[in-house]
Amino acid sequence: MMGYAAIQVLNALSFSALLLLTGLGLSVVLSLMNFVNLAHGSFYLLGSYIAVHWLASGAPWWMAFPVAFLATALAGALLERFPLRAFYARPHLMQVLLTYGLSVIFADLMRWGFGAQILSPELPEMLQGVVFLFDMPFPLYRLFIIGAGFAMALALWLLFDRTMWGAVVRAAVSDRGIVETLGIDTRRLFAAVFMLSAGLGGLSGALGAGMLAAYPGLDEEVLILALITVVVGGLGSFGGTVLSALVVGFALTFSKVWFPEFANLAAFSAMIALLLARPNGLVAPPLRQL
Amino acid sequence: MSLSRLALPMAGLAAMAAVAALSGDFQLRFLAEILLIGTAVLSLDLLIGFGGLISLGHAALFGSAAYAAAIAAQHLGASLPVMLGIGIAMGTAVAALMGLVILRAGSLFLLILALLFGQIVWEICFHWREVTGGADGLRGLPPLSLGPWALGDARSLFVLAGLLALGSLGVARSFVASPLGRALIGTREQPIRMQALGYTLFSVRFRALLVAGAMAGAAGSLYPFVNLYVGPQSVHWTLSATMIIMLVIGGVGSLWGAFLGTAVYLALQTYVGAWTDRWQLCVGLLFVLTVLVMPQGLASGFLRLTRKGRTP
Repeated sequence: MMGYAAIQVLNALSFSALLLLTGLGLSVVLSLMNFVNLAHGSFYLLGSYIAVHWLASGAPWWMAFPVAFLATALAGALLERFPLRAFYARPHLMQVLLTYGLSVIFADLMRWGFGAQILSPELPEMLQGVVFLFDMPFPLYRLFIIGAGFAMALALWLLFDRTMWGAVVRAAVSDRGIVETLGIDTRRLFAAVFMLSAGLGGLSGALGAGMLAAYPGLDEEVLILALITVVVGGLGSFGGTVLSALVVGFALTFSKVWFPEFANLAAFSAMIALLLARPNGLVAPPLRQL
Repeated sequence: MSLSRLALPMAGLAAMAAVAALSGDFQLRFLAEILLIGTAVLSLDLLIGFGGLISLGHAALFGSAAYAAAIAAQHLGASLPVMLGIGIAMGTAVAALMGLVILRAGSLFLLILALLFGQIVWEICFHWREVTGGADGLRGLPPLSLGPWALGDARSLFVLAGLLALGSLGVARSFVASPLGRALIGTREQPIRMQALGYTLFSVRFRALLVAGAMAGAAGSLYPFVNLYVGPQSVHWTLSATMIIMLVIGGVGSLWGAFLGTAVYLALQTYVGAWTDRWQLCVGLLFVLTVLVMPQGLASGFLRLTRKGRTP
């Protein structure tokens, strides 16, 4: 029983790690640029497909993750140039419509290019197999996801909280105009943040491919979970996103254990209750009221 | 004034009669589907176009009414007024429940809450196998009837759907012109000033959602009888997203644009889908182009072409 519980906790943690990486990418664009990017799931799925094909190609396996990061960041940079940049100042409705439309296009392009079947990556030998915890088997790869996911999250936290660049980004969140008067080009800053966000989406997709596989439609599933994570956590708060990634990951995993038939029903109801109890998210950042 | 007011419905009725007399079975069923889904999109337009409430759970209203009508038809027979009554009641009830959940928070939260709510309804329809048939849905429904007349053939279904669409268009027009509709536009444009004027945002939006729910429910109640089938995809959030796409292609805030957008989308799906697998790419490109080039949708594009100089 002990072992079973420990395995489920680890399952939940590995799922949370994926949600955290995807959610952070979405959250930083949403809170910094006030931009809703519903094409974020496409970056995730693109990263998954890149990882699957890279791991099958025989090239050094660990390169799959940086390659997925860079490739999706590049895709994000192109997309930011046209047409997203023109929509930063538009209302949320137009952003939602544009990025949802783009995600429909990308979904079909990826179905065209990578096929409609479910693709699972060939994991490197180092990460195959299981470890035994309390006499229960647990896939080694999921431990790798937990480690890599939380390490990346820590690195991001250091980047945003401990570096000069992060301070500039945070300053631009609270007052873009003042940052501009200091001679910092916030347009380039925004482009860089968007690239980072897209890259994070791709990286989490590359990591997640070994757990969730890659198939058409996964982009939407991941997008919804990431959006829920960001909104439940509270916009613009790093700690909130971490906390809500854990909450959502654990809620989805354990509702599958306890109510296998009505897993999503239970998890979604819990999240609605959470949002109704705390409409500004778990950790509401101090807001300037104008 | 009264003549021009009557001219449009008359033209609609005449066009319907012509189409009903001339079209084949397949086209009539296809047109009936366009008109029914178009009515649901029209009700979504009330929320998005006039209230600024982007609901990503609208299929829950339409689909739950479709399920309610189908389940009732299996037990009570498919009498038209009963079906419509059950659909409208179900749509309104689900809208009321939804309103209590989603109308508490701002734009992005509303979107997510509506999505979560819709997916909960979907989960119920998908997993409650004894009642809803689960993934298989419900088949073998009795054909629609009104007293002694059977209304199951394609022609009567098309006429019914057309009458419902015209009626809904009329309801939507008078709703938009009514004090409630004006107040709804006010809550979109200036929520703080509207509150200062004594309006409660929640109650204005809630009543608008009830109207939209009743309309979507009426459309949903007839939908199962077009193909004598209802399945869980009629509740799924992808249908909600599709409705938004249809609405935007047609024109947000233009009431008849809802039908235009639905027709364009379903025609692409049916005719381009028969010719290439990439019809979703076409839909996506059309959608993005609409957002980029013609954010008011095809309806206003048409208007601009046909009445140059005159303000619509």
